[in-house]
Amino acid sequence: MHLKVNDESHEVTVDVERTLLSVLRHELGLTGTKYGCGEGNCGACTVLIDGEATRSCITPVTSAGGRDITTIEGLADGDTLHPVQEAFVEHTAFQCAYCTPGFIMSSTVLLDRNPAPDDEQIRSALSGHICRCGAYVRILKAVKSASSEPVQSEGGAS
Amino acid sequence: MSRQNADPDIALKVVGAPRWTPEPDPRTPPGDPATLLTIDSDGVVSAFSGKVEYGQGIRNGFAMEIADELDVGVDSVQIVLGDTDLVPQDRGTTGSASTRTVGIQLRRAAATARRALIDLAATRLEVSAGSLKTRDGQVVPDDGSAGVRYADLLSGNSLTLDIPDVVQVKAVEEFQLMGRPARRIDAVSRVTGAAKYAQDVVVSGMLYGKILRPPSYGAKLRQIDTTRAERVSGVVSVVQDGDFVGVVAEREDVAEYAVEAIRARWEESRDTASDWNIPALLKERAEDLTALREGGDLGAGFGSADRVFENTYYVPYVSNAQMEPSASVARWDGDHLTIWSANRGPFAERDSLAEMFGLDTSQVRVTAAEIGGSFGTKTPTVSYEAARLAKAVDAPVRVSYNRAEEFSWSTVRPAATFEIKSGVDADGNIMAWDYAAFHAGENAFRGKRGADILYDVDNVRIGVAASESPLQSGSYRSLGGATNHFAREVHMDEIAVGLGLDPLEFRLRNLTHDRLRPCLIAAAEAFGWATRQQRPGVGYGMAIGYDAGSFTAQCVEVLVENGEARVTRVVVGFDCGLVVNPDGARNQIEGSIIMGMGTALWEAVEFDGGRVLNAGFARYRVPRIADTPEIEVVFTGGDDVPSSGAGEPGIVAIAPAIANAVRDATGTAIQELPIVPRL
Repeated sequence: MHLKVNDESHEVTVDVERTLLSVLRHELGLTGTKYGCGEGNCGACTVLIDGEATRSCITPVTSAGGRDITTIEGLADGDTLHPVQEAFVEHTAFQCAYCTPGFIMSSTVLLDRNPAPDDEQIRSALSGHICRCGAYVRILKAVKSASSEPVQSEGGAS
Repeated sequence: MSRQNADPDIALKVVGAPRWTPEPDPRTPPGDPATLLTIDSDGVVSAFSGKVEYGQGIRNGFAMEIADELDVGVDSVQIVLGDTDLVPQDRGTTGSASTRTVGIQLRRAAATARRALIDLAATRLEVSAGSLKTRDGQVVPDDGSAGVRYADLLSGNSLTLDIPDVVQVKAVEEFQLMGRPARRIDAVSRVTGAAKYAQDVVVSGMLYGKILRPPSYGAKLRQIDTTRAERVSGVVSVVQDGDFVGVVAEREDVAEYAVEAIRARWEESRDTASDWNIPALLKERAEDLTALREGGDLGAGFGSADRVFENTYYVPYVSNAQMEPSASVARWDGDHLTIWSANRGPFAERDSLAEMFGLDTSQVRVTAAEIGGSFGTKTPTVSYEAARLAKAVDAPVRVSYNRAEEFSWSTVRPAATFEIKSGVDADGNIMAWDYAAFHAGENAFRGKRGADILYDVDNVRIGVAASESPLQSGSYRSLGGATNHFAREVHMDEIAVGLGLDPLEFRLRNLTHDRLRPCLIAAAEAFGWATRQQRPGVGYGMAIGYDAGSFTAQCVEVLVENGEARVTRVVVGFDCGLVVNPDGARNQIEGSIIMGMGTALWEAVEFDGGRVLNAGFARYRVPRIADTPEIEVVFTGGDDVPSSGAGEPGIVAIAPAIANAVRDATGTAIQELPIVPRL
């Protein structure tokens, strides 16, 4: 089948029952998208399909055929980080960072649709993701600072 | 002091013995001398440690310390971690000890190199060493004349230096980087998906393994039929060795599918332990109490008390539930085993694998990948499983746990039951303290941490016992510390309520500790404890604690309504001595608060007869971003006090502070965790 990932086309031969996550990681070597739970509960596997934040661990690969798939590897423009990636660096919005790609992918969708979300809207949009290191304070600050109405940060890295 | 080294690329090498204590201590002799730091002919500095990075930012902390001592940019420092063939054996990454032990020795190594660079420059420039200093990777004369780059000074050299007995490291006021907020040097790889975790490691010719799991702990395999699994396309082999059964396949999903196709009959343990009856069982099945401390005269203490308080407390098993499930790659080259894993203690893992396979430790190499969280779990078991399968099929094999395996077959924080009896006089002075803790797990030592009391009390008995564990207990953030603190600090509030004293006033009346007392006062002041407003559904609580050489005091505000409790505000007083990287320390403390909040409010492993019943995030509630309280951290340590741990101590006081706040809001005592199911 035909998969379009990060603006590149791939012909892959896959079993119909495989998940998009499995194909991205194992066939295409795109390991930035993480396995966290396999049940759609933690958000670590989040990718964009036609601009929608999607749990790749519960998405059959066949349903993604021919659609625009973006993974964390496709977010930066060459060496220039996406503003959300830049904000996560700026605020050290991670510790182990295993969950970070998923949080970043969902945050980009939120900001595309709502360039100036308030705190409650950010919390709501990201509540399907888990960060066990508990970097939530920083993630909230990072997303806010990447919005069109950033607030003065306190305590974050400068 | 210096000699030639054999490696042509290494212009300067500093050798020293890893240390386990912040200062030399004759009771704990240092490890074997090993290369701690090198500078290559291009001036690139490399430092070596057996510590590993699992999110605590240790790579960053080390790089800042070395860059500061050597006066080089942090970008020209490489930190090599956790490869047993390359780094010194400086013990595992536990007890929040990296900065205070390995960090100081790396600083001494860097200071040794800096001294040698100045001497080289003095010879070349024909001036006295005293007229030179270092700046931006150069040795520069005081008179402002041109300096010499380290790379130029080292060109053509191949020196080996030993760390002298006395080496002058820099004073706090000379630091350029340490003590100031800093970006993580590994940040970009972590936001672009480039960082390689154990789950991501792929080596040439690698196959995928999946283990057949019993239905419960202690189950014995009685009958098995692997025919269907062997016929699955893509399966390379079904490996069986006693109760150990695994499938090796060309793809992970095939291995997972095939292992489901194995038909097996198990005889399960008849143990009736469950999360329903475990609080009482822990005491019934415990060894005798080991006295950690006995002081004064307990009988006389209770005799002089006007009031006696006696209660029992319980903390359930909780799952570490780190985001990256355990994974390991094993490759055999003849009788040499190489492992890529996410273990916290690569040397301990190397040694245990060598023992399991009857090898010399020199035949095993363990390399730490990036680690997607640990908090104490990630045992060598997954590496052992991968190595057994790899040996059987004569090809590299990766074993990656799925989430259900991680919940059921990784380790959990031991449950514990506590009995506390205290006596206080009419003025609120603690006269007697009798403490008994029964921690699940094979070893009472594990429950020792944080069991002692730092309040002023002369008549005291602290007893800890190990109790038979129906689940596989393992380490956790501040193992023992977080649970012991829950019992003690909740009991303290019960006394305060019983005496009609403010919880802050009662604590201060019994607390002269020179670091904990100012820490508590600072936290209470920043929180506005004295002026807190009583409102319906709102409660306030506090707790203090100590761990890993550091001290903390925490005040929280909770809102209890509709059977839910929400933590709205937390103020943390924190004394970890000199703070190397304030932003890194704050990040760790915030994480500890969030994690501890989960253990206070929602988390408990449900089990029955050795079966874990809630092995997934859908049935095991962890903190989500919507639960995030406002968190303020106040550092109260002195810059002249050596750095102590920051990764774990933040968790010890949060659960009791939340329990005390919920009691304040509802009037109902909280003696068991988690809180929300009991509201």
